[in-house]
Amino acid sequence: MARIELTGIQKKWGTVWGVRDVNIDIADEEFIVFLGPSGCGKTTTMRMIAGLEDPSEGEIRMDGEVMNDIDARDRDVAMVFQGYALYPNMSIYENIRFPLRMRGVDKSQHDALVRQAAGLVEMTEYLDRKPGALSGGQRQRAALARAIVRQPQVFLMDEPLSNLDAKLRQAMRVQIKHIQRQLKITTVYVTHDQIEAMTLADRIVIMQSGRIQQIGTPDEIYNDPANTFVAGFIGSPPMNLIEGRLRDGVFSAPGVEVTGLTLAHSGNVTLGIRPEDCTVGGAGSQLNGAVYGVEPTGDITYLTIKAGEKLLEVKADRNYRSELGVQQSVAFDPARIYLFDAGTGQRLR
Amino acid sequence: MASQRKNSRGESLALRYAILGAWALFCLAPVLWFLSIGLRPRTEIITPQPIYWPSFSLDAWHMIWEDWPMAKYLRNSVAAIFGSVIIDLVLAVPAAYSLSRYTYRGRDDIGFYILSTRMMAPAIVAIPIFFLFRNVGLLDTVWALMLIYAAINLSFVTWIIRSYMLDIPKELEDAARTDGASDLRILWEIIIPAVLPGIITASVIAMIFAINEFLFTLLIASTPNAYTMSVALANFTGGSDGLIYNAIALVAFLAFVPVFLVVVAIQKHLSRGLTMGAVKG
Repeated sequence: MARIELTGIQKKWGTVWGVRDVNIDIADEEFIVFLGPSGCGKTTTMRMIAGLEDPSEGEIRMDGEVMNDIDARDRDVAMVFQGYALYPNMSIYENIRFPLRMRGVDKSQHDALVRQAAGLVEMTEYLDRKPGALSGGQRQRAALARAIVRQPQVFLMDEPLSNLDAKLRQAMRVQIKHIQRQLKITTVYVTHDQIEAMTLADRIVIMQSGRIQQIGTPDEIYNDPANTFVAGFIGSPPMNLIEGRLRDGVFSAPGVEVTGLTLAHSGNVTLGIRPEDCTVGGAGSQLNGAVYGVEPTGDITYLTIKAGEKLLEVKADRNYRSELGVQQSVAFDPARIYLFDAGTGQRLR
Repeated sequence: MASQRKNSRGESLALRYAILGAWALFCLAPVLWFLSIGLRPRTEIITPQPIYWPSFSLDAWHMIWEDWPMAKYLRNSVAAIFGSVIIDLVLAVPAAYSLSRYTYRGRDDIGFYILSTRMMAPAIVAIPIFFLFRNVGLLDTVWALMLIYAAINLSFVTWIIRSYMLDIPKELEDAARTDGASDLRILWEIIIPAVLPGIITASVIAMIFAINEFLFTLLIASTPNAYTMSVALANFTGGSDGLIYNAIALVAFLAFVPVFLVVVAIQKHLSRGLTMGAVKG
């Protein structure tokens, strides 16, 4: 229901940079996820969209209208917070109704709207309770209902699931995505959890130190990382990054030699290979090292190999077992090797 | 084995009650003693021999209501105390909100300044205050008492409420703001209900201080027009009738009862309030 444009957004507190030069164009009805480690500026960026924080520079537009000087309460956005932020003195019913009262929605509609929103998140039977009498998951659903109730132009969600346990998180993830698709409301979602980002997002914005590292669909982010930060941040376990030298299409590092690289570049580079793109003991192995650790998880076995000083993660067959210290060779899928500049960390293509 | 454990548990429970009972007696004995003095004839109180079975008399009771304008003193006390607490809350709640929520230059200094008014000996400002009230023509009025009690208590009322407000997560206000609430609505609908235990705690402590206030009341009140219970008590000690112990005791008891009842009534809030401000939940 709204398109959001951020142009040249900067945020500075004294001499400390919060956000630097952020440019994003968020399409109507899009589900966009800001992903990054804590302190990367993702929450600050969201708070600027909400109007809870003023940008030091740059322009925020919603549907073409400049929002910079418009107060948070006059922007048609609804926010869901990490700590739920339910009003403790009010019942769940009153909590959900609060935005309707504040925005002057006609009183005769309140009851129907509250019940409809509560129904969407399956909270109808808890409307009389106070937030203190609910579990974490129920509280988060109530907070979601409060955001949904007035059908805002934009949803902002600030790590809404991080206080929940893993099982509940997965269930809520599905529910959030379902509701967003149903209501077709532009959603900005902040998280440091890459699984949440990958599963929820239409597009992911990866941030670090206040700067955007890459914007792309989950597939693009995963398969086509722009730099070593993105490569190392996404994936579980993340991509192996090996520092070495490239000369005449041959990459070499202690215990590692990869030939047949087509890149016309020589010098210090970082080679990236995902754990799942490695084959244990495959033909034409590029890596030789000692087995450092074996972690069977049931459906897969994680194998850690020490090559030189570097520890590398490999996803092995679930039946793979080995004594520690045994020499093991590993083959890389040549189509899935990434090369990055050793100095800047940028992808070499 | 099991019965032994049960037994020792019973013993420790009995011990606990014995200790609590002794403590309660220790605290309440003076109060009961006062009540017993107040309800005995004057002659019996001043006999040097102990009297084990005191006789009962309402002499003092009749005296304080009939010979002395006790009802007026009581009314003055109540008006001055409640008035001062209302003034305190009207000023302290917004001040505490500002000190706890907005960032501006000198905020912490202002906060400290407010608290520091509590650190000086009240006698230092007694004379200036006397002249101040004389110049504005408020001497010997309940209004002056209301203002001076409010002034004495304002700093710590502000400080207590502020500490409660600091414990409210910022997210709550952000949520209310994005839900469309103005600053005043946030204060009224979100913040005040959340700090209610703190407001009650601060009010009760302010009331107790105000009831016990003596120096400024004596300074300001010169006729029964503005006498409160605390000054009336002092007045009993003088005059041609000599010391009227039973009346003093009864008035002291009467001054104690309202505070006691208030504290009992809000006990739940008070104990929760006192701990909640200190420890983050």
